[in-house]
Amino acid sequence: MKNQTDKLVIVTGSTSGIGFAIVLKLLESGYSVIGVGSKAESCQNAKIKITAQNPTAPVVFYNANLANQQEIYALAHNIKEYLTLNPNLKLHCLINNAGGVRDWYMTTSEGYEYQFALNHLSGFLLTYLMVPLLKDGIVIFTASSSHKHTRIHWQDIMFQKWYFVLSAYKQSKLCNVMTVKELNKRGIKAFAVDPGLVKTDIGNKGMTGITRWFWNIHKKSGTDPEVPAQTYVYLCNRPKSLGLYYYNSKIASYNKEVDKDSETMRLFALSEKLCGISYKERISS
Amino acid sequence: MNVFITGAAGGLGRAMAVECAKRGYNIVLTDCDEIHLVQIKNGLLRQYDINIEIIVCDLTNKEDVDTLIKKIDFLNLKFDMMLNIAGIDNEGAFMSRKYDQIGDIVKVNVEATLHITYEILNRRNTPFNIVFVSSLASQFPMPLKATYAASKRFLFDFALSLGVELKESKVSVLTLCPGGLATNPTVIEAIDAQGFFGKATTNRLEIVSRKTIQKALRGDTVYFPGVLNNLFRIFNNLLPRQMVANLIHRRWVKSQAKWLNTNNQSMANMVKTPITQNLETKGVI
Repeated sequence: MKNQTDKLVIVTGSTSGIGFAIVLKLLESGYSVIGVGSKAESCQNAKIKITAQNPTAPVVFYNANLANQQEIYALAHNIKEYLTLNPNLKLHCLINNAGGVRDWYMTTSEGYEYQFALNHLSGFLLTYLMVPLLKDGIVIFTASSSHKHTRIHWQDIMFQKWYFVLSAYKQSKLCNVMTVKELNKRGIKAFAVDPGLVKTDIGNKGMTGITRWFWNIHKKSGTDPEVPAQTYVYLCNRPKSLGLYYYNSKIASYNKEVDKDSETMRLFALSEKLCGISYKERISS
Repeated sequence: MNVFITGAAGGLGRAMAVECAKRGYNIVLTDCDEIHLVQIKNGLLRQYDINIEIIVCDLTNKEDVDTLIKKIDFLNLKFDMMLNIAGIDNEGAFMSRKYDQIGDIVKVNVEATLHITYEILNRRNTPFNIVFVSSLASQFPMPLKATYAASKRFLFDFALSLGVELKESKVSVLTLCPGGLATNPTVIEAIDAQGFFGKATTNRLEIVSRKTIQKALRGDTVYFPGVLNNLFRIFNNLLPRQMVANLIHRRWVKSQAKWLNTNNQSMANMVKTPITQNLETKGVI
């Protein structure tokens, strides 16, 4: 095992599913890790599970509801403080993995549609807040192959007319890949990972009835979360990789919409507005 | 168009605020939750070119309401529409609650609503629209939600009468009677615990908020969203009320037991998180 505990990786949505598997794999590979989870209790459980195996594992967990932008700011503040207190650590990678599905149209504190805010805007804003710490580090987003079968619904991006869980999900994942494209244009090295179909509880949280039943059957044919976790570690180990979208540690093809500059730039500008930020100001300053 | 919205920092109130902003209305938002009030204001201003005033106010507190009215008069505001969304539900069985929890239901849902309606009616333009949020529960005798359902019945009857009183002054009054509304993750859990009928009687938040405004502007007096909810209502009118009460009691006992089972670790918080989750609006004042 290479000793690279001075390299810090942040993983959001890391108390279960793919995120938790990534944390384990990163610790195995000798990285230091900050995990982020939406519930204090699951953060504690995750920490206990890890330290039971290895009491000195270099991992801490922070609790933040990333659908709420104020909590993202608070999280960023805590991470900065942690790095100041541990000057030997260097932020090597931010993994924006937190995401979810919701059966129903719900609004977040800012009045945005829940999946759009959690799956897309949270990573967008957290990345912005981490850029000054990242320096030559990288950013990874958890996307999904489902992003290939959709486009951005400009006429009603928050699905206020007629909400359908999968349409909102697919669009939010397309947003992830588009964000990656635009970040690279701005000199921030970013990747999207397609984890494939994985046995996680994503379709069980915040869902009811038929959708949950469907997910329980569907996920049986999925892989264990350890499989996609390898792709994340692969990218952490090779931060200079050339691709944009990875599946099974290999460059894979993505939705052609992502290559339309007009689309990605429009999304980026809207996202900046919805977060009340401007990447340009931050980078030049 | 100036719209006054109570209970605007979460749940249905927030969704209504989004809908009004989307229509380009100027809005005054009030709630006792200042943090979320600021957040929704920011979120809306980033998307829509409208005027928004937020006023923090506990509507059950007379001094708070006086201050609110002073502020409105200072700004010289007159309104074209009022959405009475603020409401709470602390319920389980009558004797399983502290008296204050029961009393608060009446204070918020009835007293506070009457007070603020009176004040805003004195500051109205002509024509004027009022929306009261009653509930599907107002149509049934509801053991284990007795005070809540009765408070919503109060609003239901009051709104109907007020509408007739003020018809000649060109004030039209709409009563919204939703089933469940999946406004946040906790409510989704509660809906799930109710099984098939929980989900079937749940209305879509995005549709209810849009249609409520549409119907109010059209001068409708009552809005029961959802086909199944309407069937329940009609069926209920054909049965003796004693029988309906017995049936409902059986159903609530079951679903509450299930909900308690899945949430037994948070029993200590039960006072804050009522056993019968508030399905209509989040507990905002």
